[in-house]
Amino acid sequence: MEHIVFGIGITALAGALATVAGSAEDTESNIGSQGDPNSQVQLAPQMGFLHRIFNKAVAGEPPAYGLWCCLGAGLAWAFMAMQFNAVLAIVLGCVFATFVQGVYATTAYVGRTASLAKFGQPVYVDILKSMTTVTMAHAFIAIFCTVTLCHLINTALGHPFPLPLLGLIWGIALGAAGSATGNPYYGKERQYQNQKFGAGVPISASGNIVRYAEAGERNSIDNGWFTAKIGGSASGICFGLIVFLELWRTVVFEAINPWYAIIVGVIMILIFTVIDRYIEVWARKTYGPYTAPKEADA
Amino acid sequence: MSAVAAKPAAGGAMNPGAMAVGIILTLILVGICYVMSPGVGLMALIGVVIGGILIGFGTHFVPVGGAPAAMGQAPGIATGVAMLATGAGVAGLFGGAWAAETLPATMDPMMQLLIVVCAGGVGGGLMMAITCMMVNFLYVFGMGIPPASGKVANDPITGDSQAEYKSQGTEGHGLPFVSFVGGVIGGTLGGAGGTLIYFELLNLYQGALPDVMNVTAAQVLPIAVSLAGMFAVGLFLVNAVLTAYNITGTIEGPHDPKFKRWPRSIVASAVASALCGLCAVLIVVPLPI
Amino acid sequence: MSVKVEVIEGGVPHNTILIAGVVSTLVCIYLTYLNVVTQTEMFSFFGGLAVVAALVWGSHTIKVLCSYGIGTGVPSAGMIAFGSGVIAMLLATRVTNLLLAPVVALILAAIIGLILGWVSNNVLNMKIPAMVQALTEMAVVGALSLMGFAALITGTFGFSGLTTGTVSMFGITLLTHTNSFLGGCLIAVAFLLGAIAIQHPFNACLGPGWTQDRMLMLTAECAFLSMIVAAIMSLALISAGSALISLVIAIIGWAFTYKEYMALSKRDAHSWLDSKPIPDVEGH
Repeated sequence: MEHIVFGIGITALAGALATVAGSAEDTESNIGSQGDPNSQVQLAPQMGFLHRIFNKAVAGEPPAYGLWCCLGAGLAWAFMAMQFNAVLAIVLGCVFATFVQGVYATTAYVGRTASLAKFGQPVYVDILKSMTTVTMAHAFIAIFCTVTLCHLINTALGHPFPLPLLGLIWGIALGAAGSATGNPYYGKERQYQNQKFGAGVPISASGNIVRYAEAGERNSIDNGWFTAKIGGSASGICFGLIVFLELWRTVVFEAINPWYAIIVGVIMILIFTVIDRYIEVWARKTYGPYTAPKEADA
Repeated sequence: MSAVAAKPAAGGAMNPGAMAVGIILTLILVGICYVMSPGVGLMALIGVVIGGILIGFGTHFVPVGGAPAAMGQAPGIATGVAMLATGAGVAGLFGGAWAAETLPATMDPMMQLLIVVCAGGVGGGLMMAITCMMVNFLYVFGMGIPPASGKVANDPITGDSQAEYKSQGTEGHGLPFVSFVGGVIGGTLGGAGGTLIYFELLNLYQGALPDVMNVTAAQVLPIAVSLAGMFAVGLFLVNAVLTAYNITGTIEGPHDPKFKRWPRSIVASAVASALCGLCAVLIVVPLPI
Repeated sequence: MSVKVEVIEGGVPHNTILIAGVVSTLVCIYLTYLNVVTQTEMFSFFGGLAVVAALVWGSHTIKVLCSYGIGTGVPSAGMIAFGSGVIAMLLATRVTNLLLAPVVALILAAIIGLILGWVSNNVLNMKIPAMVQALTEMAVVGALSLMGFAALITGTFGFSGLTTGTVSMFGITLLTHTNSFLGGCLIAVAFLLGAIAIQHPFNACLGPGWTQDRMLMLTAECAFLSMIVAAIMSLALISAGSALISLVIAIIGWAFTYKEYMALSKRDAHSWLDSKPIPDVEGH
């Protein structure tokens, strides 16, 4: 019984860490325009819309976060193998992983922008200096939380996988959850704030992203400020739920009977299915069909 | 090198000759395994091939819209298909590996296999269910957009009409119910497949590595776990990327016309898994060189 | 790495890079065998140089393949390269005669890549002319760079060396399997370091202003960056002095290539501005 209570405590802590990680991950990728909304930042200069948005296309978020978290975990593992204290080892590992992330971010921005020379898009050194540091700070939070939760899973809950492999698994899952949930909010709602609310962006409007702010020119920190409010929190909840429920059903029910953990998992899937169906029906009833065709302002 | 304009001609057409060759190739590879390592090695390889096929087939269900989905221009989840499937699959692998660790060793092997594979499948399905639910949550409550499919007039499961919920100038947006169900099925199959590969290889390595390395079974455990886990991830990526090639990167779910290309992917996954699985099995076989 | 890149339209032909890549990677991996000959771990850094050479070649292969528009992102190409490469590499480390391991890895990876390429083109009906050759090359790059990482981190590329490590407790040195390259699953880190480094250069430099020398310089930069962190990890598995040699070489290589890459980007960029507004363009 004590063992299960201890496990539930660790599970709650891991879930909380995952929520912070998911939130920081989405904000970081939105400030860097990583993931799919990147295509629009890349497209805009080609359509004649020069901008001052950070464009850090390292890879899709899942492989990129797979690397950062796996690297942080691997370095932490190496430091722990050298008899470092676990907390110090994790912090040091995440610092080096964040350094790698920052270097990749600068080379990605400079490379992508230099390849757009034909369309007159300049490389802004001030963007490089101010945005990279902000993304690094968010990335450090995301990596540190993920590596810490992997360490908890490995040492406190006794998962058989070594730390680097857990880092790979949860890094890829973090990127997948964060990009799936957070990307549309940045891509549609923020980049295309000039388009109609409550409708997808017409394909004819592609590339016409918002480039000016309330005062002056929009930069990517404004984007992080905007998306952190809904996109970031939603990504955090998404990853937090995944980690918490996955651990919780195993910690509580696996010891009683392995089948219970599976049955509980199936029940949770059914509950989420019902919630999803409710959201869909609610949206169809409340918003109604798009009756009159709208003008696509290109 | 100047072929930037040449788009891939990957249509829906099947190539029966090549598929027949593929099946024969798979059988040859399994045959090689039978000669080199009959018994446990062969059983492990068959498990790996089934696992690979499950991954390849499951990836077809995962609704992924790619870059246009991030602008609400196309339905599906806004990320890459191979990596989303991998995310769900490794989350399942995590659950399955944990279940394998806690089971009592005295349990019937078939029962163990069943529990572990089910645990992996449920883990992958749960990850996709949460993700898909949050995607719809954000579309509806964050952006005020109802889900709509662009490929079918009515949702095949609920019968909801789709065309009038599609905003002007787009191909649809969000995840209609059929895509949600597809995502959960895809995650479940992927998680189950990845876990099956892991569990079969783990059993093989736990049994055979102590003799190969001249150490005790307890000492070999971390090596066996790492090797099996790494092979499972590697095989997962190979199968998921091959399937992504098959559907050229995006799919709406089981109702998408591209879904009909699945037989090609099954053959491809079988060949790839047999080949890679053979290498994984041969690690514990004494080599002539 | 030894490729001298000139600014010509099209740049160095792919076959030149291919041959230079294979030869220099194999030579560098074999040079780590000096560790066994001299009974030290000082020559581990050649593993890192093998990674640099292999990745430079591999990133150009990705460029050749992805020019066709394969329908899915550039990163997935890196994933399939290392997914198939890791399997070939692990089997190759098992050969009894250690000297044959790199060649066996090359041949096995080529067979796996060849079959995967054939499957993609015929069974999956992709019909991309460069597919078979590109997937073959990328599997080989994946296998050889993982072998390079293994040699860099552990000082050897044999199965027994990768599965055993030492742990010192109260002054006594004990053999352990948990603290080893495979037992600790550092291969997962090597896997992702390589898989991102191989695809990032083309992903970051694609666009109408793509130039070969800039992309290859970026690959070298990514590879040296990966070598820095791998050298830090190697502190846990090889002697501190040898790891420091790798670390110093990696930092020098990284600093040089990073500076060169920034200079090349400055050359190719339209303009290089600091705190300036968006330039005025006609009609917007």
